[in-house]
Amino acid sequence: MSKFFDLHVHAYPETEVPAEELLRVAKRYGYTGIVITNHDDTVGSDLKSNSGFCGIEIRANSVADLKRKIKLYHGKVAVLAVHGGNDKINRAALEDHRVDVLAHPSGENREGALNQVLARFAAKNGVAIEFNLNAIIQSRRGERARMLLKMRSNLKLVRKYKAPLILTSNARTIYDLRAPREMIALASLFGMEREEAASALSDFPQGILEKRWKRENDVVVLKNENKKINY
Amino acid sequence: MCLALLIPSSLRDRRRYLVFEWLSERGIDKWTLLSEIRNSIFSLYGDVGASESKMRLIEYTNAEDTAGGMGILRCAHDKVEEVRAALACIHSANEARLSIRVIGISGTIKGATRLLR
Repeated sequence: MSKFFDLHVHAYPETEVPAEELLRVAKRYGYTGIVITNHDDTVGSDLKSNSGFCGIEIRANSVADLKRKIKLYHGKVAVLAVHGGNDKINRAALEDHRVDVLAHPSGENREGALNQVLARFAAKNGVAIEFNLNAIIQSRRGERARMLLKMRSNLKLVRKYKAPLILTSNARTIYDLRAPREMIALASLFGMEREEAASALSDFPQGILEKRWKRENDVVVLKNENKKINY
Repeated sequence: MCLALLIPSSLRDRRRYLVFEWLSERGIDKWTLLSEIRNSIFSLYGDVGASESKMRLIEYTNAEDTAGGMGILRCAHDKVEEVRAALACIHSANEARLSIRVIGISGTIKGATRLLR
C-alpha cells in the first residue's frame, strides 16, 4: 500500500485545532503524514512542530517581498509553499527552484490562472501545482462549477508539460480532512484519472519531501531532519 | 409485500452498500443527515444523476459518547465513486461542521452490517 501525504494543512498558531489532533485524525483516515503549512505572517519565526512535518506557506504582496521570504525560509522547512493567486506572484514562484509547492494557483477566489509558460516553468523547476479540493467541498453551484472548470484547464496544462501535481485538503479543522479514497473521488470530478490522483497523493508528495526534482546544488535538503521523523 | 421483490433475481438492480462513518461537532439526527446527503447529490449531479445513483439510507447509528456515528447507504453498483464524491462534498449540517468517510463497500446488506460493528 502506498503512503499518502497531505501537504497543506493549517494548525494551531493559525487555527484553533492543535497539530496533534489533525495528525491523529489523518492517521486514522489512512495518511502516513501531514505537513503543517501555516501562513508565514501568522507564525513568524516559530517553526517548531513535534508532529508531522513542518512547512510554511508564504503570503507575499509583491515579487520583491516573495523573494525576500523565500530566501528567509529556504532550507529551514520541509515544504516551502507559496500562497498563489496573483499572476505576478504565481510567475515569480514558479520561476524559483527553491519553492516546493504553488498552493491554489487559481487563488482562493479564482483570481489567477495558469498558462503554458507557467506550466513549463513548474516542470523545469520542480514546483508542484496544488489542486485545492477544499474549494470544491466548501463551494456550491455556480462558484463550484467555475472552480471545477479552472481545475480542469490547469490539469490539462500540467499533464501536457508533466509538471508535478498534488492534491491537498487545505484543512483548518479536523472536519475539513478527507480520506485518500474520498480525495481521489473528488479529483475525478474535474477529470483526473484514478491512478493519477493516487500518485498525486502519494508519489508526488513523497518526491517533494525528498526533493526529488531538485538538483543537489540547488537546494538545501533537510536530510538529518527527515531521518528523525518516522513516517 | 414490496412489488420490487417480485421481479426475478436476474432482472433486479445490482446494488452496492456503502458503510460510512460520520464525524461532527454536534450530534446530527437521521433526517438532517439524509437531507444533507440528498442535497449534496442533487447539487453535484442534478436530478438525472441523482435518479441514476438510486441512493437510499438503510441504516443509521449514533455513537453515544462522541458526536459521530455510522450508517449504511445503498446505491447502484456502478455509481459508487460518484456517491463517494458526493459524500465527501458534505461540509456541514445545521451549521455544525460534518465530514463523512466511506469505510467499506459490500454487495449485500448482511456483509455491510458485518462491517458496521
